[in-house]
Amino acid sequence: MNAKEILSHTEKYLAERLPVEKMNYASMVQKKEVPVHGLAWGYYIGGLAMFFLMVQIATGLMLLFYYQPTVSDAHASVEYITEQVPAGALVRNVHAWASSLMIGSVLVHLLTAFAMKAFEKPRELTWVTGVLLLGITFGFGFTGYLLPWHQVAVNATKIGLQTIEQIGGYLPGPMAEWPRLVKEIIQGEASVGQATLSRFFAIHVIVLPLAIFGVLGFHLVSVQLHGMSKGVDEKPRRMEKFFPTFLLKDLRVWGIAFMVLFILGVCLPFESLFAYPLFEPFDAKGSTPDGIKPEWYFFWVYYPLELLPLWVILLGSAVLALVLLATPWIFQNTNRKTLRLVAIAAGIYLLVMTLFGENIYHLFKG
Amino acid sequence: MIDAFLFIGLPYIALIVATIGCVRRARFSKFSMSARSSQFLEDRQLLWGSAPWHIGIMGVLAGHGIALLLPQVWSYILTVPPAMYLIETVGVACSLLALAGLSTLIYRRLTSARIQAVTTTSDLLVVALLFLQVLVGLLSAVSFRYGSAWSTATVVPYFWSLLALQPDMSYVSGFPMLFKLHLIGGWLFVLLLPFTRLIHILAVPFQYLWRAPQLVIWNTTRRRKQALAASIRAESRREFIKGAAGVTGATGLLALGVSSKAINFFKGASQDPEAESALLEKKLQRLKLTAEERSYELERQRNTMILVAGYAELDAVKGKYFIDYAMAPGLAFKGKDGMPIVISAKCTHLGCTVSSTLDENGRIMCPCHISYFDILTGMPNPGAPAKAPLPQIAWALVDAGGKVLASNTPGQASGKVAAPEALAQSSLYITKPGKTAA
Repeated sequence: MNAKEILSHTEKYLAERLPVEKMNYASMVQKKEVPVHGLAWGYYIGGLAMFFLMVQIATGLMLLFYYQPTVSDAHASVEYITEQVPAGALVRNVHAWASSLMIGSVLVHLLTAFAMKAFEKPRELTWVTGVLLLGITFGFGFTGYLLPWHQVAVNATKIGLQTIEQIGGYLPGPMAEWPRLVKEIIQGEASVGQATLSRFFAIHVIVLPLAIFGVLGFHLVSVQLHGMSKGVDEKPRRMEKFFPTFLLKDLRVWGIAFMVLFILGVCLPFESLFAYPLFEPFDAKGSTPDGIKPEWYFFWVYYPLELLPLWVILLGSAVLALVLLATPWIFQNTNRKTLRLVAIAAGIYLLVMTLFGENIYHLFKG
Repeated sequence: MIDAFLFIGLPYIALIVATIGCVRRARFSKFSMSARSSQFLEDRQLLWGSAPWHIGIMGVLAGHGIALLLPQVWSYILTVPPAMYLIETVGVACSLLALAGLSTLIYRRLTSARIQAVTTTSDLLVVALLFLQVLVGLLSAVSFRYGSAWSTATVVPYFWSLLALQPDMSYVSGFPMLFKLHLIGGWLFVLLLPFTRLIHILAVPFQYLWRAPQLVIWNTTRRRKQALAASIRAESRREFIKGAAGVTGATGLLALGVSSKAINFFKGASQDPEAESALLEKKLQRLKLTAEERSYELERQRNTMILVAGYAELDAVKGKYFIDYAMAPGLAFKGKDGMPIVISAKCTHLGCTVSSTLDENGRIMCPCHISYFDILTGMPNPGAPAKAPLPQIAWALVDAGGKVLASNTPGQASGKVAAPEALAQSSLYITKPGKTAA
């Protein structure tokens, strides 16, 4: 195959995945239809995740007006937001709740899209960008966790970053030093300190938002160009118009989501779910407090990490990441029934590890 | 004298005449207990007149009625300022609505030939008086603010004194002319009640609320089709209006709620001086802590020896935390031989800070993944998540004169040994890696 052929192949491939000729009013608004079938609720989850992202952007910008990203002031400014600023507690609480709900809906979106075989040709790139969005969302969670600069935040981040260094033990020769270098690049200095806070802040409010806008833009445009995927093997009961029928239903889901979020934000402080009072400012000279753990959305990897040797987890994560990225090609010939079973199994694993991870840990470790 | 007639005589005359008149009309002319409908003659203007008028006037009358009949409940509600503003606003809005509706009705009665045919003089009188009465009421509400509150303490006792047959007009005789007019107008309507269309107030069609809608069924095909099309149109319009009203209302409420929160959020906290100074103090404290940490860092870059603690402060069981040359935590204990044991407190597993209290086996524990380290050797217990030992840290005991009494560098034999009484006065330092204690 010569260069010319490769070029024309690439061109054909891209043209199939990005049918820009469909970028017009008629096919994007007038003709677009959504199938109605048993799994049709899955079509709402992606929009829901986007709704929570919008809430995150709005509340995040509001918090940005008061938050001060320095080691000495970060905790005091967060305290000031919660205790002094009118509605500050609400805004911060909504930000915390919406982050969890966003990650939750992104995970459910991943599973339903998988179960519906929404990655089928020509939607491979939509799936791959979706996996990238998942990574970005976890990045948001990890970097945002540090910003309040309290005991749990700093100590959990320390442990999370230290895990990177541990990888060095499995690498040969001079490569053994690389993970430590990577850690120090992320961290900005020898231990978690002001440099880390500045970097995490920059990543959380500038780098990741820019990244998510770009990737999400591509994701949405390709969803809009290809229309909704078929979702099930059998014939759908009927089709409904995307505009206005489905859109109105979507907005209704958003409205309910907002109401739930608002009620949670008003009634239940996110931090009240933690069983330990670790929200004192970080104390560099104190011992690491008991019961440090990451946010619930990392439990699925955290508890296995506590139970199994690191290399098993590393290998597992690497395989998982590769399988997720290559899903459209690995599973292109699998039928939807099998995919649904795999998705259910994965869902059960996530649910069990998130809800009962600690019990399982104690079962094995006493 | 004229006041006595207007505020005592007129009310009693009105009440007696109204009672007897209404009973008579109900007994002898039962089917005239209504306002004659003119909907068949003209229905377009009627909708825009009758509906606002009745909605508005019922709102206003409800306010009057509650104040007159349940004054205590009323004044209790009014003690909440936002409730009072709400009541005043709703009252003014309702009377404006009533006036607008009534104007339409008057215009209709004066201009439509069909309506003219069924209009009596008493209808015109009633409608004109009603207009004046609502106008005067609205003007007094606007010119004498918070009428809902002050009238509860004046008009209401006056009203009850009349009912108790102990009329006391001192409550109302001092009122401005405008409001007196409104009161007199009120009694006038009571007087007119049995003789005019106002009688329909007593014949409220409550059953309309739950009875099934009446369908007019036509017998010709063309009429039936027309009627069907019209009812579909009306139904879909009703649904649309309901939906649009719901969406607008919900969006409006949402926008109102969110913006009220958002505006206050950006406006910021209004703090009392005490809270403000407390906040400043806290921030200053944190800054000092940060400054302290920075100075540690500088100290560790410049000095070859760093003070940990006085020898007397060391304990055999409870370790003393300090920051070592790598800016990581360290722990200092007093050993059995009286010499210090100085060891890193940064867990070799994932970098947590090891706790400072020795257990009965002479070990310190890392709380993160439960590793026990022997402080003499630094070795973790077998099977612990941590594999590497905690490193020992080079130290020196220095007396007040700057003389090194004892020192230890990991991997080398201990240095000098001094007498216990000299040790008690000395201080423990850690020494920079690669340099010997001087």
